[in-house]
Amino acid sequence: MSLFTPEFGLVFWMLVIFLILLWVLGKYVWPVIINSMDERAAFIDKGVEFTQEAEKDREQAKVDVRGLLADARKQQMDILQQTERMKQEILDNAQKTASHEAKRIMESAKLSIEQAKSEAELQLRRQAGLLSLQIAEQVIRRDLSSEDAQMELIDKLLNEVG
Amino acid sequence: MRKRILYTAFFTLLLCASAWGVARVVVGEQEEEPEEFDLKEVIFTHLGDEYSWELPGGAEIHLPVIVRDREGAWHCFSSKYLDEGAEHEGFYLAREGDRARKVVGRDPAGNEYRPLDFSITKNVVAIGIGALLTAWVAFSLAHYYKRARFKAPRKGVGFIESLVEMVYKEVIVEVLEKDARRFGPYLLTLFFFVLISNLLGMVVVFPGGANVTGNISVTLVLALCTFVVVNVSGTKHYWRETFWPDVPLLLKFPIPLMPIIEIFSVFTKPVALMIRLFANMLGGHLIALVLVSLIFLLGTLGSAVMGGTVVISILFSLFMNVLHLLIAFIQAYVFMMLSTIFIRLARE
Repeated sequence: MSLFTPEFGLVFWMLVIFLILLWVLGKYVWPVIINSMDERAAFIDKGVEFTQEAEKDREQAKVDVRGLLADARKQQMDILQQTERMKQEILDNAQKTASHEAKRIMESAKLSIEQAKSEAELQLRRQAGLLSLQIAEQVIRRDLSSEDAQMELIDKLLNEVG
Repeated sequence: MRKRILYTAFFTLLLCASAWGVARVVVGEQEEEPEEFDLKEVIFTHLGDEYSWELPGGAEIHLPVIVRDREGAWHCFSSKYLDEGAEHEGFYLAREGDRARKVVGRDPAGNEYRPLDFSITKNVVAIGIGALLTAWVAFSLAHYYKRARFKAPRKGVGFIESLVEMVYKEVIVEVLEKDARRFGPYLLTLFFFVLISNLLGMVVVFPGGANVTGNISVTLVLALCTFVVVNVSGTKHYWRETFWPDVPLLLKFPIPLMPIIEIFSVFTKPVALMIRLFANMLGGHLIALVLVSLIFLLGTLGSAVMGGTVVISILFSLFMNVLHLLIAFIQAYVFMMLSTIFIRLARE
């Protein structure tokens, strides 16, 4: 069976061609391809790593920003609260001072009014006395000139007493 | 779209070209002398080696015959002088026997002998075409990397790269680890050469059609290369395992039973590689040939039978060819993978 027996010439040529092919490809082609593929894989790995790092950084920055924001908000709250307290205090103080002042003013006013009143009373009393004296003088001077009138008055007064 | 039309036109042309050759044969049969259809002759001519390459339409490329006769003189002439059983410079093509269709000579005593035959036969040319294509494929990828360093290739080059990736990253690096760089070039060359030769063998017309990887001489060389690589790179541990394996003393001392088995397996591994590729590819070609020959064999029974056989044969051979396409790839892959594993076993 010629199909199953190797042919010497063909073996020879096959060996020659295959070895040349192997030499050429092994020297000039496969190392280039393998190196390039490895280099590219390394390049892609590096890229991925870089992206992951950037992503991590971004996450970290996000967290940082959140912290900062919270801090700022807290500070703001604190300041607001403080202001509120201060305002209340000032208001309270003002109120206290005002009421105090008012009381003082009122008191002094009351005092002066009292004084004025008593003075006026005194004056009024004096005036009234004076007036009644004048009136009495007038009355006495005019009416008691006649005998009759004098008698009449005396009677009346006696009646009244009696 | 334009490319697709071009492809379709090209393959239709190919199909017509091969059909024309067949039609000539059929018509020739009917008009001239009713030649007996010789199945054995057809199969052996197609599966074996030839000194010329038939083109569609009956044209032929005559290849050089290079032989060395018994006296040590070299003869080199075109194979066209040997057509139709003609004799040239004392050489002619044997008609039958083990040397059928080979160049033989006649010594002064009148005995037929086989000279040392270094002819550039159809298979040699096909091997050269396969090697050139392999080199082209590999060079195009390397060239791409030189031009566009970190870019991923697309289309054809991308396909080649995915094959390289599959072979190198998935098999060679996985199995050989740190030795991958040292043996990668050999294994990649092996894989691509076998794959391309397998696929070329499936093309019916000129650049293909030769039964390269289904020829035992070719697979012998490939297996021999693996054998040499495995045993030359074998470590001390490998040789110790071969000659003094780690088994109970009784199995290796008075009668070296295990060493004999181990040494035997050193040789059976490449032989199995050789036979596997050879038989698979030969089988694929044989089935395609037999299915087509069936049309001519049954054609003598009448036109109705012939028509039926044509349909069945074409459907079957389409199916077998698709299967063979798969086998062409699998066998290239398996040959490379087993070589990788054998190298790994020798490197431990």
